[in-house]
Amino acid sequence: MTYAHPEYLVETEWLAANLDNPTIRIVESDEDPLLYAIGHIPGAVQVDWFSTLQHPLRRDFLTREQFEDVASKLGITNSTTVIFYGDKSNWFACYALWIFEYYGHKNVKILNGGRIKWEQEKRPLVKEAPSYAKTTYRAKEADKSIRAFRDEVLAHSNARKPLVDVRSAKEYTGEMLHMPNYPQEGATRGGHIPGAASIPWSQAVNESDATFKTTGELTALYEGKNIKPDSEVIAYCRIGERSSLTWFVLKYLLGYPQVKNYDGSWTEWGNLVDAPIEK
Amino acid sequence: MPLPQKLQEIVDDFAGMSREEKIETLIAYAESLPPLPERFAEERAKMEPIPECMTPVFLFGEKQADGGVVFYLDIPPQSPTVQGLACILTTGLNGCKPEEILAVPADFFTPMKLEEAISGQRLNGFRGVLAHMKQTTVNLMEA
Repeated sequence: MTYAHPEYLVETEWLAANLDNPTIRIVESDEDPLLYAIGHIPGAVQVDWFSTLQHPLRRDFLTREQFEDVASKLGITNSTTVIFYGDKSNWFACYALWIFEYYGHKNVKILNGGRIKWEQEKRPLVKEAPSYAKTTYRAKEADKSIRAFRDEVLAHSNARKPLVDVRSAKEYTGEMLHMPNYPQEGATRGGHIPGAASIPWSQAVNESDATFKTTGELTALYEGKNIKPDSEVIAYCRIGERSSLTWFVLKYLLGYPQVKNYDGSWTEWGNLVDAPIEK
Repeated sequence: MPLPQKLQEIVDDFAGMSREEKIETLIAYAESLPPLPERFAEERAKMEPIPECMTPVFLFGEKQADGGVVFYLDIPPQSPTVQGLACILTTGLNGCKPEEILAVPADFFTPMKLEEAISGQRLNGFRGVLAHMKQTTVNLMEA
């Protein structure tokens, strides 16, 4: 059985044969910001989840106008097919894709396996950063149907609608408050949002080459925890990056019609006065 | 107590660099991180890597005859930022006396303005490795 929307993925072989394709723009988005400078897929541009995509002042990502400016400088037009890839099984690639989709970009794809598979296959990496002519880019109104905010998450939890906590098991149980050595990204309380199912994001990808698991494996994984396609689903993690991978899997690989990413995630919920918590 | 001289020099160097120079220099540090000496292999195999998004950092310290401390690290090449930051620390601190290491302020790197090159969030790696080095130093002093 194929994925619900296989057009949202490209394979490394296809990309290797399409490096000069003028209708695509390859975008690297990593957890480690130095990887791009050490070597990237020929022709790829870089976005950094923090310095490129976050709002410079408040906790939010770019405004529509700022996003237009970023896309324009990367040489992306409204009709460009944007292909994202990155390290760590594509979490930050999925995060970047989610933000592009939030501002209405059509034709976004993930490179299945990301950097890990590309490197394993010994495909070319270059150090030279390309430069593309600035475009005129027009973003759409933000698509709130893929982004959840705290009040909505509270209502969702109270109504016992499905929530997926994609953090590690110890973060879910509250045993670990923040990742070791990342206190600034932490929360004052540990645990999870009441009713959330624990399905760590990494279970959706193959450890060997970072590609996504098969439809059958993914269906068993999510439906086994009662996360079904006929319901509205909200995914969250710590800052919303790991959960954008889960959002991508549920929405495009399994075809769930109503999936949102809660980017406030635990660093908001675990600090929010009066928010209910389960351990 | 002032920073150990070698570390102070690195801090001063970075302070005067452009964004591009900072990136190049960090990569050069990452690439110059020596491999973990064979004699730590057994101990390394017994340690558990830290799960989830953390970069698995393995750190060992040894006391020298003159009382100085030398650190050895094992960090995967997929995490060059952490490798680079850690290598700055080993370059700046290896051979220093325990009291000099323990006196390094957690925010010693502020004048380097590294956030121009890598997002401020990633500088947590610096704090993490330094805290780890201090703990290792304390353990060595007690041993």
